[in-house]
Amino acid sequence: MQLLVGEIENGIFLGAFFVLIALGYSMVYGILRLINFAHGDFYMMAAYVSFAIFGAVGISHLHSKWPVVLVVGLITMIATGALAVLAERLIYRPMRRAALLSLMIAALGLSQVLENGVLNIPAWGSQYRTYPVTSSAAGTSILGTQFTYAQIAMVIISGLLAVGVYYLVGRTLIGKAMRAVAEDRVAASLMGVNVDLVISLVFFVGGALAGAAAVMDSLYYGQINYLMGFTVGLQAFTAAVLGGIGNIAGAVVGGLLLGIVESIGTGIFGAEWSVVVAFGVLVVMLWVRPNGLLGERVARRM
Amino acid sequence: MVQTRARKLVSVVAAAGTVAIGTSVVASAGAAASTPRALGHAAGSVYSIGVPMPETGPNAQAGTEIFDGELLAANQINAHGGILGHKLKLNEQDDACDPQTSAAAATKLVSQGVQAFVGNYCSGAALPAEPIVKRAGLPNIQPSANDPSLTAAKLNNVFLMDPTSSGDATEATAFFKKVEHVKKVLIADDQSTFAVGVANLAYRDMKKAGISVPAIQAVPATQTDFSSVISVVKSSGAQGVYWTGYYAQAALFAKQLRAAGLKKVVYAVADGSVDPTFISDAGPAGNGTFATIVDTTQFLGGKNAKLFIKQYRKAFHSAPGPYSAYGYDAINTLAAAANNAHSIAPAKVIQALHKVHYHGLTGAVSFTKVGARVGAKFVVLEVRKGQYTVAPKQP
Repeated sequence: MQLLVGEIENGIFLGAFFVLIALGYSMVYGILRLINFAHGDFYMMAAYVSFAIFGAVGISHLHSKWPVVLVVGLITMIATGALAVLAERLIYRPMRRAALLSLMIAALGLSQVLENGVLNIPAWGSQYRTYPVTSSAAGTSILGTQFTYAQIAMVIISGLLAVGVYYLVGRTLIGKAMRAVAEDRVAASLMGVNVDLVISLVFFVGGALAGAAAVMDSLYYGQINYLMGFTVGLQAFTAAVLGGIGNIAGAVVGGLLLGIVESIGTGIFGAEWSVVVAFGVLVVMLWVRPNGLLGERVARRM
Repeated sequence: MVQTRARKLVSVVAAAGTVAIGTSVVASAGAAASTPRALGHAAGSVYSIGVPMPETGPNAQAGTEIFDGELLAANQINAHGGILGHKLKLNEQDDACDPQTSAAAATKLVSQGVQAFVGNYCSGAALPAEPIVKRAGLPNIQPSANDPSLTAAKLNNVFLMDPTSSGDATEATAFFKKVEHVKKVLIADDQSTFAVGVANLAYRDMKKAGISVPAIQAVPATQTDFSSVISVVKSSGAQGVYWTGYYAQAALFAKQLRAAGLKKVVYAVADGSVDPTFISDAGPAGNGTFATIVDTTQFLGGKNAKLFIKQYRKAFHSAPGPYSAYGYDAINTLAAAANNAHSIAPAKVIQALHKVHYHGLTGAVSFTKVGARVGAKFVVLEVRKGQYTVAPKQP
């Protein structure tokens, strides 16, 4: 029982990162019907951008420096958001009328460009890089499992960001515009919605969330590498599908569920089975509910 | 930490340099191929050696360190006129510690006409290259790969400088039982050939020694989060953990184990995880952890080893890695065999390697019938104040 409770808690921590990245997949899918396979690599880029900023600032321990970390985190979020907007502007926008498959292939291409581009930057690529700042190991016990304060803060931050996005999409005028574009791009533009701007904004929010996830992940694990976005990207994509892609609440539920299932899979069957269990659950879930847990009709996805 | 980063940077620059050397060798080999082949074997010619090593990915640093050890040996031999008048040329190829890339690298090197192989850092990369090198009839010396499967095919051209991982498992078992008096140990690997090999041997040895093993956890190599594995450590009541995978994950595991409050669990790793990167990544959590390893470069005693370390530092502006001396000895062993054979013809060198008795930095070098190293010793290391030291209590 203690093992199960511990694994669920670990799963929530793991899932908090999946949620942030899954939100980016889901929002972009909701508005463009595009599975942006480069999204995981935006996350990787964010880790390297913050790595470079920390290197330039030159601090090496988080203790009492958290305002600096916060500022770097915000800069990284903006930079990653900008990168996502740039990718949309340069690659996806000119192809918007093309077949969805072409867009998907372009996304895969961009993913390869980013990964191998980082690989070829001498101070970045090839080796595992030690992140210059790491969170402290101080912590406390929750229901019998030890967590660091940083971990707790990260879960809270993820939760706040997810709530923020939910509010943005569901309750604001910008969100209404996003939903309108998702439902019918042409009709929305006839109603005076600036479609290009709204789509750019969706990419920006998705990128920024990936940026936040990357900084927190790097602070906690202390290692970054040029392929780090690939695995996480795949898991987050799975989480988005699990919850119902295009659905904000679905990304949150899917992310947490995937984290918990992976953790329990390890606890019960051993680490070698965690991926099998996680994806097995996905297959069964899609069999039972083809649109994901909270999946809605296509037109009302956002 | 800043210092470590600087060192890594240097090694990257060094790697970039070696790549440049590699390409120039490729270029010259290409030029040689267009001239009549007979010319290539005349006096004063080149003894071309294929060196597949990981230059990218998590094992790039270790690959560079071994290559530099080999380069140092080759330069010294060349400074004394080469082998039987042939200058050594190291022909580097990236194997990325990956089976497919390694097979492609081996094929490429064979087609470039290399006359010997001294390479591969990872056992998983060495294995698929074996039949390719065998078909080409070339000697295949492995400086650090040491999985038992490498000699299982009983090819007569494979020679492992690094003793097989059964030594790791035996040393770890003795350490947990006799030094730490631990009754329950969780074993974890990263699903790589080497790690699974050591994990299975350790499982067998520990059971035999009366240590109970709740599980062998096979953690995918891309996984960064160990919390669920740590929950298993906790719930099973294991007093020790033996990680047989590589260093990038070893650091993550150690850090998360300590952060989870398991401060008294004895954490030991096999030699794939012994690397300066482990210490820098694990930070304070690295202190008080142990490692089983063959007597590697930095723990070698004696005048020759000290001279080697000095020369290495001078040449590459960084400290040698654990297996640098094995790379150095690998080239010198090849040279000794060729000198004994009075020929660099691959078949004759292979014959000579079977009979070789060379005294290298890493001790006496000779091989069993299937090519396993004879005579190297194992040691338990402890990380203290961010440094690898020989553990005060040896089993």
